[in-house]
Amino acid sequence: MRNFFSTPTAIVGTALLSIVCFAAIFGPFIAPYDPQAFDALNRLQGPSMAHWLGTDQFGRDLLSRILTGAPSTVAFGVGATVVGVGIGSIIGVVAGVSGGWVDSTIMRILDGLLAVPDLLFTLLIVTILGGGMEHAMLAVSIAFAPGMARISRSAVLSVRTRDYVRAAVARGESGFYIVRAEVLPNALSPIVVEATIRVSFAIMIGATLGFLGLGAQPPSTEWGLMVAEARQFMFRNPWCVAVPGLSIAIAALGFNLFGDALRDSLDPKRSHG
Amino acid sequence: MTAQTLMKDAPIAATEKSALSIIDYSLSYKTANGLIPALQNIDLTIPKGKTVGLVGESGSGKSSMAWSIMRYLPSNAVETGGAIRLAGEELLDYTPFQMMDIRGRRMSMVFQDPSTSLNPTIRLGEQIAEVLMRHRGLTKVQAFAEAEAALARTGITRPKEMLQRFPHEASGGEKQRVVIATAFACEPELIIFDEPTTALDILTARQILDLFNQLRDETNVSALYISHDLGLVSRVVDEVNVLHKGVIVERGAVDEVFRKPSAPYTRQLIGAVPNPDRWIGADAPAEPQTLVKLDKIGVHYGAPSRIQKMFWPEDADNVGFWGAKDVAFEVRRGELLGVVGESGSGKSTIAKVLAGLQDFEGRLEFDGKNVASRKAIDRAYRRRVQIVFQHPDASLNPRQKIGKILSRPLKLYGIVPRDQIKARIAELLEMVRLPAEFADRYPHELSGGQKQRVAIARAFAAEPELVICDEVTAALDVSVQAAVAELLVKLQKDTGAACVFITHDLNLIRQLAHRIAVMHHGKLVDFFDRADARSDDRDAYTKALLDAVPVHAAPQETASA
Repeated sequence: MRNFFSTPTAIVGTALLSIVCFAAIFGPFIAPYDPQAFDALNRLQGPSMAHWLGTDQFGRDLLSRILTGAPSTVAFGVGATVVGVGIGSIIGVVAGVSGGWVDSTIMRILDGLLAVPDLLFTLLIVTILGGGMEHAMLAVSIAFAPGMARISRSAVLSVRTRDYVRAAVARGESGFYIVRAEVLPNALSPIVVEATIRVSFAIMIGATLGFLGLGAQPPSTEWGLMVAEARQFMFRNPWCVAVPGLSIAIAALGFNLFGDALRDSLDPKRSHG
Repeated sequence: MTAQTLMKDAPIAATEKSALSIIDYSLSYKTANGLIPALQNIDLTIPKGKTVGLVGESGSGKSSMAWSIMRYLPSNAVETGGAIRLAGEELLDYTPFQMMDIRGRRMSMVFQDPSTSLNPTIRLGEQIAEVLMRHRGLTKVQAFAEAEAALARTGITRPKEMLQRFPHEASGGEKQRVVIATAFACEPELIIFDEPTTALDILTARQILDLFNQLRDETNVSALYISHDLGLVSRVVDEVNVLHKGVIVERGAVDEVFRKPSAPYTRQLIGAVPNPDRWIGADAPAEPQTLVKLDKIGVHYGAPSRIQKMFWPEDADNVGFWGAKDVAFEVRRGELLGVVGESGSGKSTIAKVLAGLQDFEGRLEFDGKNVASRKAIDRAYRRRVQIVFQHPDASLNPRQKIGKILSRPLKLYGIVPRDQIKARIAELLEMVRLPAEFADRYPHELSGGQKQRVAIARAFAAEPELVICDEVTAALDVSVQAAVAELLVKLQKDTGAACVFITHDLNLIRQLAHRIAVMHHGKLVDFFDRADARSDDRDAYTKALLDAVPVHAAPQETASA
């Protein structure tokens, strides 16, 4: 970890991620205006001293809406990923550790699920469960589980045949001890890295669902929904689409670059050099 | 020797100019901890038609030397001076583009592992022909004809068929012959051999060495032969250079260096080479008592499934592959039993069976009690039988400190009360001659030999009656290897544990073992007392193995070391 900041990827990723996290934690408190306050005289304004990022079709201050929307957007991404990674890793570790027909059965089912694209799968689940933030989050996490299960299984498999695991088996250790003390600590880093990168996908899927009207409902300040609502006014004031769109991009990019950098620095070939 | 008679016939003018000369060459690597020197002030000359050996342990810089001659260095390499001249031409001045033409045509290289130096998706014929077409401008038809001739020269019996095969369809020895044929194909001025026999079995390695000598005589090529094995190098080279930590500490004619090594490092290196006549093992147990008895042990990899057995019972024997079949021997209390064999002979399979890591068929008896199957092995058995693996890097959990690794068997089997575990760990470390502070270190902070000592300490922590050592010295340098073997013998002597020592190194095992089992293709072909190693009733395969290993008398000064 000492050399974590040696690459531009890590520096940019961490910088973007800090901005996003700052907005997610303090955003609602530092927003200059009420995000829901209409101002009929100042509709669809460009950036000015009064409204730094301009206003939307109802004259609401965009900066304030972005800041208040940050917590729910980031929470959606992180929440969906945590749940998805949790479900996926448990399935993957069980499959990887037990092997044999248990493994084959689980993996064949997951292969079938993996064949469905993430977004389509999410849409399917949301359609069944009905719209709303919580359901969208659950849908994303379920869509993530098969991929995470595959990654955690391969991480477990690569560790399972190492000599130190075989040494533990030969010693007569219990299966639970072997998984907890020998396998998991060494299989964890690829899972953590993948999870970090997946937060960005979750944010984007969340935004997409918001845009399609299946996620957050108006007057929520969720970023994807903001893009959707402002779409018809795009040519009168591009700012009201560009600002939430860029925010989504920055958040996604931040998590993605940070994950990449994390993977590089956790790679033992590079960190113990 | 034939090499010398041929040398006399060669034109005298050609021998005068050296094929390769390296003058005062230094190389460093840029790392996070600053510049680390890899080679310092190297002077090396290879006269035309001669073979020069470069001997060193891992990390000595011998591979860096090969890559700097080939001009193929990693981006963090910094050359800090000197010259490398191929037939008088300065290679350091050439652009990478010019070097592409020189590599393969004027210099070529043979690598350690033929299975990784050949492309697995291209037929062998195309891999040789490609080189010929690139460097000698032959057409495809000509190149294939030439490739066939080149393979025939390396002693492959059906060269035409071999050209059509993929690398996985050829044996290790055949693949290395193809690599060598490729290297000789363009009649280069210089060939670099980087441990060409290390990845091969003893008998195959011997054949490859003979082939090398024969080809060298025929083509009069100059060669740099890099190896960690002094004994092996002595059979092929004219002059040897000993490299230690990037500095050439000794050079001279092979016989000279062997008989009268001047540098202390060379002396240590020669002293560490296993010598079957120097017995270092413990005393044999006075009364032979059987500890473990194996009877008709078989391991069937890829065994047929229940459905296959039901419908095609007659095929049951032919499906999959027998890792070991009908193996029967016994291990006595307190003895050191050597198991020798080439890779794939089933020796590690037997180790896994004994350690309870592998399902098996047949009868396994431990201390008079019958163990029916792998599942029947209980914790008491597992405490009494411990295993040490080949690769010390892989057998220690990288996320646990040494202290935690050693404490595990103590806690698991309740060897000592909990409050004494710390003291016992210190004792264990001292037992394997490591400082007690190592308990707070992680495995990656230790060297290979130190890690193997920790693995041995972990095995002996359980106070076992049988320790299985699966090629424990194979991944270590020669000098470390000797120390680890001696440590093992001492521990065995002190604790009275029996030991099954699995190795491919006959010379080493003849120094340690009381009795020796020889395995070949999954079967036990020979089993004998160490005193009878040379007697006439040995199996033909045992004899071949014994004849293949280079045995050389240790120099006078080191015999007592």
